[in-house]
Amino acid sequence: MSNNISMETPLMHAYGNFSHHEYSAGGEIAFGELLFDLVVKEMPLCSHLNIRGDAGDDAFCAGILQVLGIALPTQPGHYHTSRTHSLYWLGPDDWLLVSRADSIDLQAQLRAALSGHLSIVDVAGGQTIINLRGSAVALNTLLKKSSLYDFGGWGTAVEGGGRCVQTTFAKASAVVANRPDGSYELVVRRTFADYIARWLLDAGSEFGCRIEGELGA
Amino acid sequence: MTQIQQINRLAGGARVDSDGVINFTYNGRPMQGVSGDTLASALLANGVDVVGRSFKYGRARGIVGHGAEEPNAIMQIGSGASSVPNLKATQVELYEGLESAPVNGWPSVDFDLMSIAGFFSRLMPPGFYYKTFMYPAKLWMTYEHFIRRAAGLGRSPVGDDPDSYDKLNQHADVLVIGAGPAGLMAAREAARAGARVMIVDEQSEFGGSLLASTQTIENRSASAWVDLMVAELKTFANLQMLPRSTAFGYYDHNFIGILERRSDHLSLSAATGSRQRLHRVRAKRVVLATGAFERPLVFAHNDIPGVMQASSVSTYVNRYGVAPGSRMVLFTCNDSAYQTALDWHGAGRTVVAIVDSRAEPNGAMLAAVEALGMEVMLGCAVIEAQGGKRVKRALVAPINAQGTEVVGSVQRIACDLIACSGGWSPAIHLSSHTGAKPQWDEAIVGFKPGTSTQQECSAGACAGTYRLSECFAEGAQAGAQAAHKSGFGSGVGLFPQPPVEEHDEYPQQALFLVPHTQRSTRAPSQFVDMQLDVTAGSIEIAVREGFESIEHIKRYTALGFGTDQGKLGNINGMAILAKALGQSMAETGTTIFRPAYTPTTFGAIAGRDIGELFDPQRHTAMHRWHLARGAEFEDVGQWKRPWYYPRSRASGGVESLREAVDRECLAVRNSVGILDASTLGKIDIQGPDTAEFITRMYTNSYLKLAPGKCRYGVMLKEDGMIFDDGVCACLGDNHYLMYTTTGGAAGVLAWLELWQQTEWPDMQVYFTSVTDHWSTATISGPNARRVLAKVCDDIDLDRQAFGFMDWRDGTVAGVAARVFRISFTGELSYEINVPAHYGRHLWEALIAAGEAFDITPYGTESMHVLRAEKGFIIVGQDTDGSMTPADMNMDWVVAKNKTFSFIGKRSLQRSDALRDQRKQFVGLKPLNPNDVLPEGAQVVFDPQQPIPMSMQGHVTSSYYSANLGHAFALAVIKGGINRMGQVVHCPLADGRILAAEIVSSVFYDPEGARQHVE
Repeated sequence: MSNNISMETPLMHAYGNFSHHEYSAGGEIAFGELLFDLVVKEMPLCSHLNIRGDAGDDAFCAGILQVLGIALPTQPGHYHTSRTHSLYWLGPDDWLLVSRADSIDLQAQLRAALSGHLSIVDVAGGQTIINLRGSAVALNTLLKKSSLYDFGGWGTAVEGGGRCVQTTFAKASAVVANRPDGSYELVVRRTFADYIARWLLDAGSEFGCRIEGELGA
Repeated sequence: MTQIQQINRLAGGARVDSDGVINFTYNGRPMQGVSGDTLASALLANGVDVVGRSFKYGRARGIVGHGAEEPNAIMQIGSGASSVPNLKATQVELYEGLESAPVNGWPSVDFDLMSIAGFFSRLMPPGFYYKTFMYPAKLWMTYEHFIRRAAGLGRSPVGDDPDSYDKLNQHADVLVIGAGPAGLMAAREAARAGARVMIVDEQSEFGGSLLASTQTIENRSASAWVDLMVAELKTFANLQMLPRSTAFGYYDHNFIGILERRSDHLSLSAATGSRQRLHRVRAKRVVLATGAFERPLVFAHNDIPGVMQASSVSTYVNRYGVAPGSRMVLFTCNDSAYQTALDWHGAGRTVVAIVDSRAEPNGAMLAAVEALGMEVMLGCAVIEAQGGKRVKRALVAPINAQGTEVVGSVQRIACDLIACSGGWSPAIHLSSHTGAKPQWDEAIVGFKPGTSTQQECSAGACAGTYRLSECFAEGAQAGAQAAHKSGFGSGVGLFPQPPVEEHDEYPQQALFLVPHTQRSTRAPSQFVDMQLDVTAGSIEIAVREGFESIEHIKRYTALGFGTDQGKLGNINGMAILAKALGQSMAETGTTIFRPAYTPTTFGAIAGRDIGELFDPQRHTAMHRWHLARGAEFEDVGQWKRPWYYPRSRASGGVESLREAVDRECLAVRNSVGILDASTLGKIDIQGPDTAEFITRMYTNSYLKLAPGKCRYGVMLKEDGMIFDDGVCACLGDNHYLMYTTTGGAAGVLAWLELWQQTEWPDMQVYFTSVTDHWSTATISGPNARRVLAKVCDDIDLDRQAFGFMDWRDGTVAGVAARVFRISFTGELSYEINVPAHYGRHLWEALIAAGEAFDITPYGTESMHVLRAEKGFIIVGQDTDGSMTPADMNMDWVVAKNKTFSFIGKRSLQRSDALRDQRKQFVGLKPLNPNDVLPEGAQVVFDPQQPIPMSMQGHVTSSYYSANLGHAFALAVIKGGINRMGQVVHCPLADGRILAAEIVSSVFYDPEGARQHVE
């Protein structure tokens, strides 16, 4: 048996790809220094757990707080975050936990702390996180091109939490969240990753768009 | 070729830059315009009179208007793949190198056969299409040939569109449509109140009618005031301004489509980014400030080039610095058009006469023109224009007070321009899109917007308010109110009203059809709709032929059918109809305006969803391995699945589908094959009621399924018909994993949620899609266990210990895996699942481990053949939504005695589900072993019977089997299960009739021994 276990992140085949609009200077098409107003970066893989449960159950909320150290977000469209965990509200009884902690340990701790009707499902293999950074104009335009959702009222995220939404993204879906540094994070599904990469390059071409990632993460 | 001079260009004063010379061509002729020109203003500056030939009669036509209402100046812009047909010259901004040509005009614009003797007017009476379609049918082809050529409605480019387009989804608290006086005020108030505001205008710059106005506002020229106002609006961070943007459709829930022209005004080579952008706006409140169109006057030969709208003449003079002629007759029934006489005089041109249909108008405007010594002919009308390619004279006669009869002798007045004004019609199009029924208002002689069903209001001229000060006030109020209703501000305007210089107007006369000395059906054509050549006479003829409803008249005469949607002609047409019917305008009503307000490109509607972005392609984690192996792919839903893996032939060339599939199928039966099964839908189900819930969804029971075990199940819709199937595994207490078909995954998840949320909300069960989480490699064949053993040492693979329909957790190729021993080929099979980031690693490890057994990747085609050899159904191929489990000979999967029912059970007892002669699932063995029956072929019992034959069933799956050594098929045949051994026939479209014997649907290993091999 091979000890050499290789891993493919959903977006890695797009690393290094870029789109850049051709701009005219004196009637010539000039490629000067390539400027990218939009950078798409696949973040290192981590644990993803889908959690279902009853937000009205105090014990459930207390158990989440005890294990994660962050409160269960119960306000629609909000997420809470710490250095280790981010917990996104997806629906009234539906959350996404993204964590740097080991998935098996985390599941065991959650199972131990929680009781009653709930569901904890490892979905890490099926999704990846993309960070979108760039000028505010480029980011806003890209989001308006990609989604029907109104991101206009979000304001800025702060340390500890911000806004999120699970919505349509081009012809796929994504969880979109804002970050304190003005960037956005997308949680996208693995099998749509090639499509999403193509979409981002195409839709972002007017600003210049590049895809980055960390190989061997 | 000599350059044509801008003979009609005025010096200075307008909003164009007369030093910024722009070269363009019209019909191949080089011309010059200036920066700020539209194509129309540049053509007029160059003295171009004829810009097209009319649709039906081929009459010479000139520029009439200055905006979206223009019916005649329809141009083809550019050439080659970027060429755009059917743009209005009045809306095309001039750019360096622009190429233009009229779309109408055969054989040429300047000389047109069709106009000779009005030949076509007798050939094409009103209702021509209907009459021609009715009889004689055979002549239609002849007519059509002429009509198509005559119509000449532009040329679509042949090549692929090289431009890019995109769409933005926008959200606004207040959307203001139109940036004239009312719109500007509305936007400013709403933005000041703090609302998120968008203001859009179809022109290249904001200002609307003010851009051509000579009024003084706040002690400035209107034009300077607009500049200040626009500068002020730019200071609001919460206000988005979109010029060159047409709101073309107003849809339910305050959803508005806006087409922004981003690079159409730039030369084609300078274009960057998207050419056009579709803004899909969802607004809390909408303020419509779309203005009004001046109404033409309908008199004989009113279509001769040189007959123009009075406001358009003023616009060309004041805004573009172009005087389209030298000697003008102004013909009006209202005061507002007098301004055109003042403007014309101010441009240093001659006003020959002002013809006013009103007998005794009075007021400041009349005094102003009389002070300049202009001749005013009161109580008179221009009853006919004369000239060929340009107006030469106007025939003027006194008319009665009702405007219905000529009451005196006719004077001939030489002129080269007749500027007309029949009053104003509010642009109620967008309001009308919402379903609001326009209301006739006698006071303004026009239709006003009806009561809206949407969150909108109209302000300014589009609401029938024409005085500038009132437009300002109404706009400001509308903006403040819209902001307030969307949660901002008090609803009271915050800015003082700009002081305006204006005077009272004497009431207009309602004059929709100017009388002639002959009656309309005899008089020279009096055009109502220029674009489609509808005359007053043809409307009267339609009434004589029995039409009464305006909607019928519209379709019979084509009134308002053109790309201008009758923006000029409609009201006059309706009034002529009302008069012919002897009823009021209110009774006659108007036709309903529908989107799009102006033509919209398909490119913008498609946006970026073209080519490979038309539909997402879903890829498995092994996709690049398949690509590297040269797999051919099959679309399964949105998935790209390997179809087969053609290899190079020893003899040269590449294997055909049949050759590859034969090889792949033999490899699976004789050694081992490997399939990428990652696309199967997978749903994780948890909760105390899970077993009961899924037992209600499937036909069989899962209550006693132990952890470590799997079971195959079939799901029915309420009608008892199969809609999905798959294996369900018990992972632990209250924890199950459901497999669905590849194409059915989303539908099954929605189905589960539907029943849980709407019917059984008390059942405690949660569903989570894990389709993407797992990658699945299926190894199948007598050597499958030996391959797995090489990469897995922590699962006891003994055939008893890890039995058929069991699953185990373990480590495969160093990765935590879940292995199912289930089989879709009938061979010993393992479906190995790992988190998808390791999918390709697993796959390559299995390929390496299988090398000694010549492990063969196989695609969906071989999978289909192998399962069909075993008689396993594919839902959606062998079933079509009308098949019960009994029809598919699968009664064994239906549990009859569950405590609770299951979905579809009751429907299985319907008489129709129980009747004899339902189509039943059987195998077909062609009598000729090489006849592969076409899938879908109909089955008959007697091939000699006359057509139409009695069809007894159809072939659902059909292949050649290398393992069986002959072709075989699956089919559904009426009463088929009791017809074993009978020969049936498939008559084909090519005349052949293929015979086959009805046999069991299980062709291979009927006892099921092979999945238990050592």
